[in-house]
Amino acid sequence: MATLPGAALPEEYVSDVYEMPEQVTLWQDAWRRVRRNKLALVGATIIGLLVVTAVVSVFWTPFPVWKQAIGPTYEGLSAKHLLGLDASGRDILSRIMGGALISLQVGVGTMLIVSLIGIAMGLLAGFYRGVVDSVISTLINIWYGIPDLLVVILLVLLFGRSLANIAFAIAVTRWMDMARLVRGQTFALREREFVEAARSTGTRNLAIILRHILPNALGPILVQATYAVPQAILFEAFLSYLGLGVPPPTPSWGAMAADGFHALELAPHIVLAPAIALSLTLMAFNFVGDGLRDALDPRMRR
Amino acid sequence: MTRGTLVYIIQRLLLISFTAVAISSIVFIGEHALLPGDAFVSERPHNPRELAMLLHHFNLDLPLPEQYRIWVTGVLHGNLGESLVNRGVQITPLLIRELGTSATLGAAALVFTVGLGLLLGLFAALKQNTWVDYVASSTAVVGYSMPNFVIATVLVLVTGKLFYIWTNGVFFYEIGWGKPEQILVPAIALGFPYASIVARLTRASMLEVIRQDYVRTAWAKGLRPRVVIIRHALRNALIPVVTILGPLSTGILTGVVVIENIFGIPGLGKEFIDSILNRDYNIVIGVFTFYAALIGVVNLGVDLVYPVLDPRIRY
Repeated sequence: MATLPGAALPEEYVSDVYEMPEQVTLWQDAWRRVRRNKLALVGATIIGLLVVTAVVSVFWTPFPVWKQAIGPTYEGLSAKHLLGLDASGRDILSRIMGGALISLQVGVGTMLIVSLIGIAMGLLAGFYRGVVDSVISTLINIWYGIPDLLVVILLVLLFGRSLANIAFAIAVTRWMDMARLVRGQTFALREREFVEAARSTGTRNLAIILRHILPNALGPILVQATYAVPQAILFEAFLSYLGLGVPPPTPSWGAMAADGFHALELAPHIVLAPAIALSLTLMAFNFVGDGLRDALDPRMRR
Repeated sequence: MTRGTLVYIIQRLLLISFTAVAISSIVFIGEHALLPGDAFVSERPHNPRELAMLLHHFNLDLPLPEQYRIWVTGVLHGNLGESLVNRGVQITPLLIRELGTSATLGAAALVFTVGLGLLLGLFAALKQNTWVDYVASSTAVVGYSMPNFVIATVLVLVTGKLFYIWTNGVFFYEIGWGKPEQILVPAIALGFPYASIVARLTRASMLEVIRQDYVRTAWAKGLRPRVVIIRHALRNALIPVVTILGPLSTGILTGVVVIENIFGIPGLGKEFIDSILNRDYNIVIGVFTFYAALIGVVNLGVDLVYPVLDPRIRY
């Protein structure tokens, strides 16, 4: 039976309520899937605790972070000092709390600088292509061949051991991943129809880059930025473990671990407390990064 | 080896030398232009004549461009100059000796990393979604999140103290360098975080490969499991793993800085930190030159392994 064009449909095919498929944006969908990812939730919880600890440590710690006791040193865990005392008789719990603030500051600060440099470089290379791209790509490739930890140490040596300098030094050696990612995204996005539409209506390049390309690349950027935080925290820990980070008595987890290493057999808790704090933090950020990556990956949608 | 490969290697070696000189030049200029005063400023007071002689001996009384010219000529002749702190010690032979130590440690760590990573990834992929997979995958995540000094600490605690107690002092690890068995613990500490990266990557690429048609064909024609997995699947699953060998080796070589300082191993990494703390800037520059060259050569080596695994790639 052939239906003629325009012929009325049988009654049962016509419904007054046309069921729209539920409209879900990428971000709503991602949020839904992150919530279902248990590891990511665990990670987010740990990060939340860390932030609270860091903020609290500004106003209050059980004992002052720098107060050295004339009394007992190397003391193990007790009710008064939950994580024990270190070689100078300082309360380790208080110093772990203070260290959380340092780690977070370095991690987030570096992440912001990395994003700034990386996104700018990536957008420029991906959008203008040609010579600009060759220059930036060559720069990225050369940078990958640089021994990053050594450069960070040297930069900190040259410019001083303040927290801002450390964040800056780490960012200078770690911007390439972000730049490469944004470059790839921009390459793909600039050929899309909506960018062409924007261009045909006479939108200026800067507006195209900032209003049309950048917002559409935000998902992968967010994932990369999340991974940049633990990398920076790890680098700061390396630096202070080697005695080249923020100067003492500022509590830094790396320095605390280094302090305790010589008393490893006598009082392992001095090393283990900052080591566990550090590992948990790094793990939390990696879990959240993995969760975000899976959630924002369109290939894994539903 | 074809002629093309040879030309490619020579080109790359030239580029590596250029990069090494460029990087150490930046370090040279940075140190001389940015650091206040001279290298002897914080030592015990010298009498003015002695100080002038010292500065003259190290060419530090010359204008910067002239100093740079002398230094670069030396570097191009393979002479990195003399230590500022231990007078009379020539840097090039010293660093070559230490390079051997670091390279041995790095190679051991790389073998451990790739070996453990492949094993974990392979078993996780073959037993996907079983407890084997979960154990292997969670080991990988945990390893990835532990800084190497944390792993080093735990290893020292276990192998140094607990082994001693358990075996009544017959079998334990002694921190140091020189005996062949002493390489094991630092190499594991150095390689473990990277082993988990290799494991994750191997698992992912193996899962992709074992679903391919040619692997199914290999199973279907009744080949033994070992042949299918190793010769058909693993060989192709290895290609993405080889691509990260470059960054991996760079990571291990920088990790050496931390590990050597923990275990007191007399290599480039320990020399770097010691010379920074001693303000021995000539050695600092020298270590940078060596590191840049080393990273370049290792990456070249990795690039030469590709065509062996994947005949589609040629130079």
